[in-house]
Amino acid sequence: MRVKGLIFVLIVAALFIGTPFLITDEYIEEKIETRLSIANTALVEFEDFDFSLTELHLKWSRLQVTDPDNTMMNLFETGEVELDFAFWPVLWEQVIIEDVRMTGFALETERETDGSFEIPEGYDPETGVPDDAGFFYSITAEVTSTIAENARMEFTDVKDDINVDSLLATIDLQSIDQMDGLKNDLESNYTKWDSTIANNSIEKNARDIETLVTSIKLDEIKDVPAAVKAIETIQKVVKEADSLKNEINMLQTDFRTDIQKSRNSIGQIDNWISADVERVKNVAKLPEINAQSIGTALFGQNLLADLNTYLQYLATGREYGQKFIGTDENEDKPQRYEGRNFEFTDKYDLPKLWIKNVELSGVTKNNIALAGQAFNITNNQNKTGQPITFNLSGAEEGVATLTVDGALNYLGDEKTESLSINYSGFSLVNSKISPSELLPYDLSSGQGDINVDLTIKDRRIESRVDYVADNVAFDFESAGAPKGVVERLIRDAISGTNRITATALIDNTDGPLKARVRSNVDDLFLNALRRTVQAEVDNAKRRIENEVQSRVNAKKAEVRELVDEQEAILRDKYAELETKVNEQLAIVEKKKKELEDKKKELEEDLKNKALDAVKKKIGF
Amino acid sequence: MLIILKYIAKLLKALSSEASPPQLAGGFVLGMIIGLTPFFSFHNLIIAALIIVLKVNIGMAILAFLIFSGIAYLADPAFHNFGTWLLEHENYQSLWISMYDNEWWAMTRFYNTVVIGSFFVALFLTVPVFPGVILFVNQYRKHIHERVQKLKIVKIMKGSKLYTFYKGYNRVRGK
Repeated sequence: MRVKGLIFVLIVAALFIGTPFLITDEYIEEKIETRLSIANTALVEFEDFDFSLTELHLKWSRLQVTDPDNTMMNLFETGEVELDFAFWPVLWEQVIIEDVRMTGFALETERETDGSFEIPEGYDPETGVPDDAGFFYSITAEVTSTIAENARMEFTDVKDDINVDSLLATIDLQSIDQMDGLKNDLESNYTKWDSTIANNSIEKNARDIETLVTSIKLDEIKDVPAAVKAIETIQKVVKEADSLKNEINMLQTDFRTDIQKSRNSIGQIDNWISADVERVKNVAKLPEINAQSIGTALFGQNLLADLNTYLQYLATGREYGQKFIGTDENEDKPQRYEGRNFEFTDKYDLPKLWIKNVELSGVTKNNIALAGQAFNITNNQNKTGQPITFNLSGAEEGVATLTVDGALNYLGDEKTESLSINYSGFSLVNSKISPSELLPYDLSSGQGDINVDLTIKDRRIESRVDYVADNVAFDFESAGAPKGVVERLIRDAISGTNRITATALIDNTDGPLKARVRSNVDDLFLNALRRTVQAEVDNAKRRIENEVQSRVNAKKAEVRELVDEQEAILRDKYAELETKVNEQLAIVEKKKKELEDKKKELEEDLKNKALDAVKKKIGF
Repeated sequence: MLIILKYIAKLLKALSSEASPPQLAGGFVLGMIIGLTPFFSFHNLIIAALIIVLKVNIGMAILAFLIFSGIAYLADPAFHNFGTWLLEHENYQSLWISMYDNEWWAMTRFYNTVVIGSFFVALFLTVPVFPGVILFVNQYRKHIHERVQKLKIVKIMKGSKLYTFYKGYNRVRGK
């Protein structure tokens, strides 16, 4: 045995085992912070980071993850977190954590310092939003735009003395430009057909054929061979005439289709004009007075804003999930022929990350203390066989309660996220039940209850938001005397109501995102508005419609006139060409028939002459 | 270059008289195991430690590793077939399962067809190779060494400036 060799091996083994113990917590903290900050493109900071290799235990007292879009805010932060991870899986690059205890979790907190982070050279952080998260962001953008539309609706301030002229001066009527564009297209199309009819080769070819046919003189054909030769020539000509017929048939089809298309295109004009009318109505803020629009105006903004908040959380979750956790793909292949791994049991069939249980507590933005659990957080649910689930609950001042339940299920072919939130018993005193000008009154009493059910299956979203306000009493006194008939009628209508319910259904199951909002007071408002502002709205709409029509009618007539006139001219020209070609083709047909008769006549004559000669020879 | 030359010289010296034939054969079979099996395997750590700790010839181990690494590239499909046969063999299933479920054994990756196939082939080969190398060394010393010394290539090598430098370097170091 080599003693020196033994010492060398022992030293190497000692270094191998001992080196991890020499690495300080500060070093690990800095490395992890840098990696996470690069992925986040903004600062990620730990405080009091403590890692114990012997106990396989990790803890920190605070974690702040900066919002890359606003570096003075944290996307979220945690208080004290403690976790234990399993040893063996680490050797297979798998992090398996049984329990995490997390306190002080809070979303969107303010930072004491700027959290911007300069990416070190040589690192290429993944910019851009992953596909799935992009889908969520597009949905939240759609919801935001629907909210903005709802916010624009005004019911009580409708005036029937709208100055349509000054309104139209601010709006560019797009239908006029569109009609100009159409007119140019039609003109160039008609010019094209005019030139095609005038300069086509069909007429010339028909003329050539006619010349050739008329050059065959029947009187000069005296014997059968001459007749056969003439017939051969005429057969060739007939073939050419047939192809000419095909050509003219094709031209006829193209011509008719194109001319019809041009005529049909003027049908769009009415749609363009309608779109202009709608645009002007929108600028004039003329509402549609029906139960759906009233429900949307009253509660749409609030209910959709709530839904949007939760959608944004899901979008952020998806984006960060993909950035930080990644997937199990792209495993390195060994250099040599790799062979096959026999998996005798499923002991090592684990994902790269699996946090089995998280006990968490924190506060919401509204300062509601929440506590609960999350289960099976992983980067690969197919390996854990479990969806990520979470449930949280909390109370505000012992009165209002909040519960959040959710599941992120990626086990099947379709990714499914479901979220159910119930916030009930919150006080409505001194708050407004709706941001709409239809209900500008503070409440002197009332309790609210909101329930959100949201399901996203692949890229189909289905959601329902229910809102109930109980024991409500409106503070009409502070608002003073009613400012008009509308307000008086609305006050009369709602003063007898002490419970208001509203439901929003938002989905994109059959096309673009649709939001339908109804409430139990829609009909009360509808009646009040129909009796008052309906006539004003209708009158204003009529005036706008008439004014827009009068401005665009001249252009519309111009386009129609062009179509009628040009179409008639072209149809005449085409008919003339067709007649001429048909006449020439008829001559060819006629000549062919004459030649065939002539040939028959000559053959008959020859047959008779031969018969006479034979008779003469035999002396018959 | 100097290191390779050093080991070639050491190997030739060891072959001629310095080391005992079992030490040379021991180095050769251990190098052979590393060469035949996938390099980054847990058992190769132990083999490498054995090469350093035991009084086997390191030069022979390196030589065997170089030779059998090349052979292993060609023989991997055969190792895979043999490993598959072993791992699918009904009589050994309980053994493989208990080894697979034990993390220490799992680190050896004996559940991989090429790893286990090549490892067992290497083990089987030690039976003829070990005495074979001893025989070869003895025969070399008796019959071949003298002739090798007279080979032109050896003379050229010995006359080269690099060899002179190496000898001088060794003298300075007192070897």
